[in-house]
Amino acid sequence: MSLPALSLYVFLFLVPVLNNLRYALTKWDGIEEPVFVGLDNFKKLATDDDLATKVLGNNIEFMFWVVIFQTGFALLFATYLVRNTRTTLFFRTLFFFPTILSSVSVAMIWLFLYDPNYGAINTTFKKIGLDSFALNWLGSEDSALYAIIFVQVWFHTGQMMVIYIAGLQQIPAELYEAANVDGASRWQQFKSVTWPMALPTSAVVVAYTTIQSFRAFDLVYATTQGGPNNETSILTTMIFQTAFNEFRFGYAASQSIIMVIMIFLITGLQKRILRTRY
Amino acid sequence: MKTKGSNSFSVRRISAAAAIAFALVATLLPSATAAGEVFGKACKEEGANTGTSSTSLVCKEDSKGKLTWQRVRLGSAYGAPVAALRAPKGSIEFHHWRGAEDGKVFDQIIALFEERNPGAKIKQVTMPSGDYTNLGYSKIRTNNKAAVFATFRGSQFVQFAKGDMMTNLSAERFTRQNVIATGLTAGQYEGKQLGIPLHYLFNNPVYNTEIFAKEKWDLPKNFTGLLAWCKTAKSAGYTPLAWSGGFRPNAGQMLNSMLMNSAPDYATLQKRIEDIDTGKADLQSAWFKDMAGRYKKMADAGCFPENATGVTDAAAINLFATGKSPVIPTGSFQMGAIKTVNPAMTGKMQLFSLITTDEKPQYVGIQNNTFILSVNKNASATDQKIARAFISFMVTGEIASIYANGTSQHVNVLNATYTNQDLVNTSVWQSKKTLLAPRFLWLNQGVRDLMEDALIAIVGGKPIDATLEDYSKQIKQKLG
Repeated sequence: MSLPALSLYVFLFLVPVLNNLRYALTKWDGIEEPVFVGLDNFKKLATDDDLATKVLGNNIEFMFWVVIFQTGFALLFATYLVRNTRTTLFFRTLFFFPTILSSVSVAMIWLFLYDPNYGAINTTFKKIGLDSFALNWLGSEDSALYAIIFVQVWFHTGQMMVIYIAGLQQIPAELYEAANVDGASRWQQFKSVTWPMALPTSAVVVAYTTIQSFRAFDLVYATTQGGPNNETSILTTMIFQTAFNEFRFGYAASQSIIMVIMIFLITGLQKRILRTRY
Repeated sequence: MKTKGSNSFSVRRISAAAAIAFALVATLLPSATAAGEVFGKACKEEGANTGTSSTSLVCKEDSKGKLTWQRVRLGSAYGAPVAALRAPKGSIEFHHWRGAEDGKVFDQIIALFEERNPGAKIKQVTMPSGDYTNLGYSKIRTNNKAAVFATFRGSQFVQFAKGDMMTNLSAERFTRQNVIATGLTAGQYEGKQLGIPLHYLFNNPVYNTEIFAKEKWDLPKNFTGLLAWCKTAKSAGYTPLAWSGGFRPNAGQMLNSMLMNSAPDYATLQKRIEDIDTGKADLQSAWFKDMAGRYKKMADAGCFPENATGVTDAAAINLFATGKSPVIPTGSFQMGAIKTVNPAMTGKMQLFSLITTDEKPQYVGIQNNTFILSVNKNASATDQKIARAFISFMVTGEIASIYANGTSQHVNVLNATYTNQDLVNTSVWQSKKTLLAPRFLWLNQGVRDLMEDALIAIVGGKPIDATLEDYSKQIKQKLG
C-alpha cells in the first residue's frame, strides 16, 4: 500500500538529496563530467570565500529581524483580532491581503515605492520636510537589506497572524475569566495566560518564519538581485548565482548543504529557547 | 551525364540571373517609403537607409557631390535570398527573452507561419532577460520541445555551444543567402554556424533629438565635451544620462562605449578583457583603473541621476521617455520600450556617440549582432524541421521587415525594408565606424557581474582604489 508513496519519496526527494551530496564533492560546470574533488568545496567555503561569509551574515541578520518583527507584529495583531466580529474580520482580511500576492508582484510594487527620486516614500518624506529620511533605499549598502526586511515582514505578517489567531482561539475562556476574577490587568493576562498558552503556536511561527527567511529568494532576486555589493545577498540567491550564473554546480551544491545545516541548527536552537514541543 | 557539381552550378547561375533581373526591375520602379525618402531626392544624413532590399534607399553622395537617396547595394556572396522552408506538422516551443518587447509581433509572425504551414504550431515561451541569462540553459536543456531558441552573444551562446545544444546551420541556403554575411560571426563556434544572429543593434546611448534642438546643444565630440555637456544639461534641469545603476544588465550597456576607445586596437582590448576574465589580470590594472576614473569624472560632472545606484530600468526608461533626461545610455534595443511608454517619442530618437577620449576616437559607436536563433539538437527530427523552417521564415525579407518595423530593431537580414522612422533615422550608424560590443567578450558571467558592480559602486561614490581592490579580491576568490 505504501509502495507508491515510498517510490515518490525516493525519486522526488531522496535521490535529488543524495545527488546533491554527491555533486558537493565534485567540480562540475553542469555540462562536462563532474570531477571528484573530495571536501575541497567545503574547505574553500570555510577558508577562502569572503562572499559566502558575508552572505551568511546577511542571512542571519535578515532572519533575526524578520523573526523578531514578523512574530511580534503577528502576535500583536492576533491578540487584538482574536474575537470574531465584523471589524476584526475586516482587519484580518486587510492584514492577510499581502500574503495572497505573488512575491514578484510585491517586489515590483515596492520597487516603485522605494524609487529614490520618484517613489512615493521619498516624495512623502520630502513633502513633509523630512528630507533626511529620503534615502536611496535599495541602492545604498546601508539601507538595502533593511528595506527588504521591511517588505518581507509586510508580506508575511498576515499569514503568521492567522496561525496565531487559530492558536489563541484554542485557549480556554475560563482561564481569562479566572484571571479577571483575580483582578489581573490586560498585560498580566497576556504575560500569564496568553503567552504561555501560545508558546506551541509561537514555536511553529518562529520555525516557519526562520525557514521562510532562508528561502526569501524571489523577493530579494526581484528587487535587488543581491546588490548593491552583495549587501542583500542571502544564501539562496548566492546558491542560485553560483549554479546558474557561474555554472559552478558542485560548489553550489556544497553551499546548499551548509544552508540546510544552518536551518537545522537555528531551528533547533529556537526550539530549545522556547522550551516547548511541537 | 551531368555531374552534381555542374547541376549545382546551373542552379547558381539561374539564381544569380534571377537576382540581377529582380534588382534591375526593382531599380527602375519608382520607390518612396512611408517616411518620405524618395529615390534621387536630397537627403541629410549620409548612410541613412531604408533597409537591405534591392529597392531600399541609402543616403549617399551622388556624382555631383550632393547627398541623395540612392539604391542599396548590399548582398550575400552566395546568390539571391531564398524562400522559407516548408514545415511539417507538429508543435514546438520558441524560447526567448523579449516577450515584453516583441511578444505581440512574434504572435503576428507565428500566426503567419502557421497559416502558411498548416499543421505546424509554435508556442512562445519567454522570460525576462536576467532570468533567461541564468535559467535559459537549464530550461531548454531539459525540454526537447524547445526546438527553437534565442541566445545572447557571448557567454550564453558559448555555454549552449559547449553543451552541444545547437544543430549546425552552416550548409543551409538561408544562412548563406538571406543573412548579411558579416553579421553571421556572432553565431559561429569552432567553425560551425550554430545560430543566426537576427538583430543588428547598436549598444550606443539613445538621445532625444527634440530636446537637443530645443536647447541648441551640439553633440559632444570628446570626453571634455561630454563632461561639459553633462554640466550644461544638469544646470538646465535635466538628468543628463538616464542610467539605471540599480539594474546591472542595462547599467552595464554603457560599458561598451566606455571600452570602445580605451585600447590602441581591438586585439589589445580583447586581450585585456580576457586577462581579467580568466584571472591573469585584475581590476587594479592601469587600463581598467583609468576607465573607472572616467566613470568617476562623469559622476562628478553630474552625468548620472541622483541616487544613481537605486535607479531601476523602468525608472530610467521613464526619465528618458518623459523628457526629463535627454540621453539613455543603453542602446537601440530600448527604442520600442520607450515608445510604448510615450508614443510621441516616435521619430525623435537618434544614437549618441559616447566618446570617452580627448584623442581622435577610433570608433564612434557600438554594434552588436545578437538574438541568435538556433535549432535545439535534442529536439526530435520533426521538431527540428519545424524549427529550421521557422528560422528560415524569420530571415526572409518579408518577415524580417515585419519584425524590424514592429519592434524598432534593425535586422541582420537581406531584403528587409524599414518603414519605421526610428529605424531609418538610426540606420546611418550601419555605415559608421562601430565596434562589435566588447562587453560580451567577458565569457564568465560571474566575473562580468562583479566588474560591473565595481563600476556601479564607483558611480555611487565609493573610492576607486578601495573598490577595485575589494572587487579584484572577490573575482580572485571566485576564479580560485
